[in-house]
Amino acid sequence: MWQYALRRVLQSSIVILGVTLISFTALHMAGDPTLLFVSERASAEEIAETRAILGFDRPLHVQYLSFLGRLIQGDTGKSITYRQSAMKVVLERLPATLELTLFAMIIAITLAIPFGIIASVNRGTPIDGGMMTLAMVGQSVPSFWFGIMLILFVGLGLRWLPISGHIPILEPLFTGHFREAFSNFPEALRYLLMPAVTISLFSLSRNSRLVRSSMLEVLSQDYVRTARSKGLKESVVVTRHALRNAWMPVVTMVGLEFGFLLSGVVVVETVFSWPGVGRLVFNAINQRDIPLVQASVILFSLLFVGLNLIVDLLYARLDPRVRLG
Amino acid sequence: MVVVKFTFERENRMKHRSTLLVIILSFLLASFGFAQMPDENTLVLAQSTDASTLEVDQVGSRSEANILAHMFGTLFEITETGEIIPYLADSYEVSEDGTEFTFKLHEGLTCADGEPLTAEDAAYTFQRAADPANGFTGNTAGFVFDAAGYVSAEAIDDLNLKIKIKQYQSIALGLLSEVYIHCKDSYEAMTLEQAAENPVGSGPYKFVEWLKDDRIVLERVEGFALRDASFQTLIWRVIPEASTRAAELIAGNVDIIAGVSPDQVDAINSSGAAKVQAVAGTRRIYIGFNQRQKFADESEGGAAIQNRDVRVALQYAVDVPTICATLLGTECERATGLVNPPNDNPNLEPYAYDPEKAEALLDAAGYPRGDDGIRFKIKLQSPNNRYLNDGNVALAVGQYLTDIGVETEVELLDFRSVYIPLINAHDAGPLFLLGSGGGTWNALYDMADISEPTGATNYTEWPNPEWFTRWNSLADIRDPAEERKVINEMLEIFYNDPPWLLMYFQPDFYGVSDRVDWQARRDEQVIVYNAKLK
Repeated sequence: MWQYALRRVLQSSIVILGVTLISFTALHMAGDPTLLFVSERASAEEIAETRAILGFDRPLHVQYLSFLGRLIQGDTGKSITYRQSAMKVVLERLPATLELTLFAMIIAITLAIPFGIIASVNRGTPIDGGMMTLAMVGQSVPSFWFGIMLILFVGLGLRWLPISGHIPILEPLFTGHFREAFSNFPEALRYLLMPAVTISLFSLSRNSRLVRSSMLEVLSQDYVRTARSKGLKESVVVTRHALRNAWMPVVTMVGLEFGFLLSGVVVVETVFSWPGVGRLVFNAINQRDIPLVQASVILFSLLFVGLNLIVDLLYARLDPRVRLG
Repeated sequence: MVVVKFTFERENRMKHRSTLLVIILSFLLASFGFAQMPDENTLVLAQSTDASTLEVDQVGSRSEANILAHMFGTLFEITETGEIIPYLADSYEVSEDGTEFTFKLHEGLTCADGEPLTAEDAAYTFQRAADPANGFTGNTAGFVFDAAGYVSAEAIDDLNLKIKIKQYQSIALGLLSEVYIHCKDSYEAMTLEQAAENPVGSGPYKFVEWLKDDRIVLERVEGFALRDASFQTLIWRVIPEASTRAAELIAGNVDIIAGVSPDQVDAINSSGAAKVQAVAGTRRIYIGFNQRQKFADESEGGAAIQNRDVRVALQYAVDVPTICATLLGTECERATGLVNPPNDNPNLEPYAYDPEKAEALLDAAGYPRGDDGIRFKIKLQSPNNRYLNDGNVALAVGQYLTDIGVETEVELLDFRSVYIPLINAHDAGPLFLLGSGGGTWNALYDMADISEPTGATNYTEWPNPEWFTRWNSLADIRDPAEERKVINEMLEIFYNDPPWLLMYFQPDFYGVSDRVDWQARRDEQVIVYNAKLK
């Protein structure tokens, strides 16, 4: 397993390198970033001077190699907007995004399983039809619109939940303030619910359909028929025998899910004023803050690749037939 | 025995499940409750963007300045009516040649950390901002010092501060009034990175907390006598999405929001919880007629707008009040020039909407309609989503011009990546839509956009010699009445030989909770230490 893990780490490094190259090239192709850092009144000389200070006057490949050289030493550069270490700025926002993504993942997975099971054991009935119709709607509704609807009806109309904002849980946890993290939790949950539900809607709907189809396939297997013929209760057949084998596609999705949810946080963080990395990256792209975009891309890639590695390793645990090598 | 064990395990499992259920339910119950509204000692404001820094000399955006203006005092202050009144300085004197300002500070001033604020601190403020080693590019170092011609600052004694500028400047006092003053010891003790996150101010509020992209919390400085501050706590929230800001205002969780979208005005006004204040802002929205030879050579339209009569004719083609009413959601009066009221020339009347006159003037100028009904073709470039409804305004202007036979192709461009480079290089056009920030306190502040024929902010490269002769003569005029006379002449020249298709001063919309008594300013500044509960 260790050999496999090492090989995957090496493969992941190449992936991350490719990601940095693509993002670096794309950002520079969008135009001369120097012009974003001078005032409208700047003269041609001032623009040239600023270009030289920022290092944008060097050939593109030199800039990229210089960036890689610093990256190897753990230096992602200084954010041009914030005038601080780009990685520090990203890491400050990361806990908020992780809270949102993890909570959304929990919702998407924990609800998708019962929904999928209920739909599958009631195959062909109005319950199945209703649930799958809802799942289709959930996959079709844009998260931006759904978030605003939640704000209008749940936040503003019913006044059940806060409309926007954030109470930190992971940040105090990471900095060793456990008491603060725990005491923040109930209040933080109020702030988390609407954005997390918004971001998880698509995944929840997709996973429900996935679990349903996976369960339908498993429920028609011989060993399930055998379990039933032994006189086991249907709930035991479904949860102990069928579900365990229907897990594999769901676990596969978890790794990919994280990346998908991360890509969705930009919109949701904006709608709910969530102070996370998604908004930061969006603004950094607009402001062409190249070091900040690069730091975010590297961090996101690491998280995504790391999680997928864990998922791959989990396969072997869940299904003894899977061999890593 | 086996049966007993089984029962025990089952009971245990049931017990665990019940405990888990109770925990989940209690969290869910805790989740559903009314959102917390601000108390009577707290004022909550919302803007669309967070500060990128709280470094006093690096601050450049309006949203950052709005927050810092509550933490830092200035020597003098520009009021909402454009008056320049004493603030940390009690009075000032100017040398005969107009190059030395001596400010006398109030006695007993302190900074937020209790350090006494003297003339030495004020001088240090200027020196620190000007120090190239710090590399500041904010409003003070990047704009004020250049515009005022700053040379040096020194303390004469504890209360008197001398600031030297290169040459007489009638707007120097107003410019120097934009510099936030701070103490020396606290800032010398901090690195630049520390100072960017721990501002130590000299104003009515002090810094408490900055949760990035979420909120900045300020607390009243007890004993600050120069300004009244009604609220104990100010919370500046970051809410990027306009509809979310409006929802928070209606829900009563926020007291003042900036940047209300025109389509949300009715919802806020009918909510019974808040009202929208629409003010004619100071940002001048105009369509530039690029006068560069390059455009004249490249296209028929580019050549046509070199003709002064054509530029005047096109003024009559566009119905600006209708554009304001339909696209900006408010009434507005058409601008007569580049200067904000009340400093504009009162003798000038806005160009009327009269398409027939526009056509007649174009005929007379030698641009009759062709067989296809077209006089000439021209391109209008515009940013999209930089200014209030800018893309649609550009499309509307394009249609008005097309209606009188000037077939206009409207090109909407991304502001940051495409439009700024074009504008900076004076390559936008031949027609281009732009919004330029202005002020209420002096006509020259607005007119400084056109200080040289090829100056950085003279984006049309309008070369009118009569304008520039008078502009240069202003440096020798000390009599305000004489200065005003020259300004009026210049504005008349601008009106009669327009480098801009004159549009409007961009309206700004603020949402204000019914519990708060506060009046929005025209100059985009959100100053709330004068706000009160009703």
